[in-house]
Amino acid sequence: MLSWVYLPLLFAALFGQLAPTLARRMPPRVATWLLSVGGLVAAAGSSASLALLAFAFVAQSPILTARGHWSDAVLRHRDPLSVPVGAVASAAVIVLACLVVRTALRRCAAVLDAHRLARALPHAGTELVVLHTSQPHAFAVPGRPGRIVVSSGLLRALDASQRRALLAHERAHLDHHHHVHHTLAHLAAAMNPMLARLPGAVDRSCERWADEDAAAITPRSTVADALARAAVRARRAGDPAVLLAAAQTAVAERIGALHAPAPRLALWRVTVLSGLLIATAAAVAVAMHDTERLFELAQSAYRTGHR
Amino acid sequence: MRRDKGSLESEVLAALWAAGRPLTAGDVADALGGELAYTTVQTILARLHAKGAVERELSGRAHAYTPLLDDAGLTAGRMRALLDKEGDRAAVLSHFVQALTAEDEAALSRLLQRRRRPRGS
Repeated sequence: MLSWVYLPLLFAALFGQLAPTLARRMPPRVATWLLSVGGLVAAAGSSASLALLAFAFVAQSPILTARGHWSDAVLRHRDPLSVPVGAVASAAVIVLACLVVRTALRRCAAVLDAHRLARALPHAGTELVVLHTSQPHAFAVPGRPGRIVVSSGLLRALDASQRRALLAHERAHLDHHHHVHHTLAHLAAAMNPMLARLPGAVDRSCERWADEDAAAITPRSTVADALARAAVRARRAGDPAVLLAAAQTAVAERIGALHAPAPRLALWRVTVLSGLLIATAAAVAVAMHDTERLFELAQSAYRTGHR
Repeated sequence: MRRDKGSLESEVLAALWAAGRPLTAGDVADALGGELAYTTVQTILARLHAKGAVERELSGRAHAYTPLLDDAGLTAGRMRALLDKEGDRAAVLSHFVQALTAEDEAALSRLLQRRRRPRGS
């Protein structure tokens, strides 16, 4: 009966493995939402499991048995594993809670930094800010409003259509608030290390999403060419301080995807992943109900003197 | 597809930077493939001038525009400082292209070579 509480942990682990793989073949907009929000749901489910396990353990301490008026013997008898597993779960809850708080604070600081930068960039009221350097920079700075920073060197290397594709790509990052999706994925990974692949997967799907948005207004081959030219320049530039290793976005993969037709939605992938998430939520609900019943039993045992 | 004011403005500014020499409104319209009307380009250039992003000088009967570097605000050093920061701070900025591995470059060359070969369809 109490084994229901382990299911969210299993489902979250499955989600963490399956989602990045299935996401590659999905339309990137759908993939991104599933990975970020879905990841958070999976993380919340597994955290709830850990919290229940931790509570079942901590509740057996004398202080709490006295306050809660429940029998620790009953708790232990119904689930003999509750002590060792619960101890591990309690430690995990503490560690993961610290990780989540740290991640949340860092992301907040990063986003605030970005907003400040967006405001501080010159020529207020223009979307594009050009950095006068031959190094191939192009990035979107989230803010109110967001800005797009591109180096003059990169602009010179592209023709008019390719420049339009580049700008459309960066604009997509701003329009769809991709940094929020990144934050959700990082929070999910902090809550559950089995979801560690999610931030990288979200990074990839956001880039593909922006590529597809650019491909909506210029030919797919133009976007691919712009990407290829920028990538070759980036490789030649090679200065490690210039290029950041935030996540190794597979450029060749993106170019390949642009040379193929836009991915179509195959419902089965969405169904499998959504199914996992629904099952996680259901398992948490059952586990909570079971825990409640267990404590009711323990409390009635306490009352009737069967400590 | 209708493009909004802001994105047209960015395209015009990008074209000025790419050219590396002063351009008239007619030059810019040509550079953008003739998709924008001359008057539209003129309006956009005037707006950019008002925002301080470009400067202009009379060249014959038309204005020739050059993009402006901002001395007071952004300096290369400040941007470098931001780009050098590790971890989350820089990761919030979505980059177009990130560091390429050697495998990436090999795969890239193969892809580019395939493109250059003439295709039946």
